[in-house]
Amino acid sequence: MASARPVLRPAPAPAEQPAPVHLSAEGVAVDFDLGGRTQRVLTDIHLKIGKGQLVALVGPSGCGKSTLLRLFAGLMKPSAGKIEVAGMSPVEAARQKRIGVAFQDATLLPWKTALDNAAFLLETADPSLSRAEVRARAETNLHLVGLAGAEGKRPSQLSGGMRQRVAIARALTLDPEVLLLDEPFGALDAITREEMGTLLLDIWQRTQKTVLLVTHAFDEAVFLASDIHVMGTGPARIIETIASDLPYPRDAQTYRDPRFAALEARLRELLVKSHKGAT
Amino acid sequence: MITQALPTPRISRALIDITPAILLGLVCLVLWEAAIWLFKVEPYVLPAPSAIALVMIEQFPVLAVAALVTAEEILIGFILSAVTGIAVAVIIARFETFGRALYPLIVLFQNVPKVALAPIFILWFGYDLAPKVLLIVVIAFFPVAIGMLSGLQSVDPSLVSLMRSVGAGPGTILKRVRLPHALPQLMAGLKVAVTLSVIGALVGEFAGASAGLGYLIQFASTQLETALVFAAILFVSVLGLVFYYVVEMAEQYLIPWAPKFADANNR
Repeated sequence: MASARPVLRPAPAPAEQPAPVHLSAEGVAVDFDLGGRTQRVLTDIHLKIGKGQLVALVGPSGCGKSTLLRLFAGLMKPSAGKIEVAGMSPVEAARQKRIGVAFQDATLLPWKTALDNAAFLLETADPSLSRAEVRARAETNLHLVGLAGAEGKRPSQLSGGMRQRVAIARALTLDPEVLLLDEPFGALDAITREEMGTLLLDIWQRTQKTVLLVTHAFDEAVFLASDIHVMGTGPARIIETIASDLPYPRDAQTYRDPRFAALEARLRELLVKSHKGAT
Repeated sequence: MITQALPTPRISRALIDITPAILLGLVCLVLWEAAIWLFKVEPYVLPAPSAIALVMIEQFPVLAVAALVTAEEILIGFILSAVTGIAVAVIIARFETFGRALYPLIVLFQNVPKVALAPIFILWFGYDLAPKVLLIVVIAFFPVAIGMLSGLQSVDPSLVSLMRSVGAGPGTILKRVRLPHALPQLMAGLKVAVTLSVIGALVGEFAGASAGLGYLIQFASTQLETALVFAAILFVSVLGLVFYYVVEMAEQYLIPWAPKFADANNR
């Protein structure tokens, strides 16, 4: 990365010019086999996410939103329906390094430094790259997530937020088209969580990647996403899709925007209703 | 910073910590010596510490040669136990179906009193190195296998997902994630194994040998040279301690990322 920060481009407004579909789920259902008894954890999921969009998937814990993310990552197969990433199967897309994943736990390797942790997934994914090149890319992305100077530190010497930054740098080092983030800030304290949200927006606006963010925090979803898909339980399906009217770029002022409060209230109302429906 | 300022106080603190133990040990030795003298205990029943020290000096060449023989058995036996234990764990972890067949058999075998196998090994392999090494391996491979296996299997599932998300297969995940992750638990298993290796060597020599500290202990006790028995026991203990510390040093070298006790205290 050059020392001068690139100018932030406003995100494409999806309503005006619909972006080509990047992630799609058609009639997807997932059954879990619980010792002879099958339980349907996802049903009738239809989802289209345009290229370069930042989309949030919200819902109560255990509603299957992580399962949906795992489907897009190619980590499991749907029992019915079709999942596509960039027009191909998720497994194929993953093989071509089009998908970067980060989870709630940073899942760093304790025996590697921050730099080696950021490098390690690309190293695994593409053994043909030279070590120097992998490290250079990892270093660039560590700087991008604000960890210049921490390259040589081990995970035990990093704070929770810094570890999560390494995890995001590790995903970015693959240079994927799609970022799948499964509650990446869920284990962080409130202030760090907001910082990381701003960082994610910044990265998204610079790199124009398609981002699918799974979260159960309303404010996080409203602050970050252009589209919010709300999931309900029993069995899980998408009960509503909200297109955010908050403009980008967003910053600390966004929290005080009346539209922010309205969106958050709408989300809360939907989730409370779906929660009551389930119990 | 802090770590650089620490060594001197840490060493002096360690000395202060250990001083009471040394003093108590000396008091015990003096009481022992006095009791022998006071109650006129026969030396073949319980020799005085001074008599043991004297035998150690007089018989040093004999003891040293015996210690070398035993040390060789322990070293080879321990290394083979480590190799066997690691191999068993990797096979069980990597080949699931075969592992499901192998694991119960190994647990079953662990419940055979392995010491009882010593005479059979002597019968099969004679009085030399081989039966002792074999006995050590059957006694000491188990903690290595169990430690390694639980290390291999306790990897965070998210980490495995992450590896799979870039198309890594089970072999790559084993090599790049599971094996390094298992090192701390492997080292714990190795520390147990090294102690068991010493016991295995002694039992092997008791069952049938013509050299070694175990042989010396048995031979000297039939001759009622109890002081020599004690001297040999002391040598065995020191041998075990040396091996243990070699393993512990290897641990610090191999897994420097493991949080150190001192670091944890300084947080």
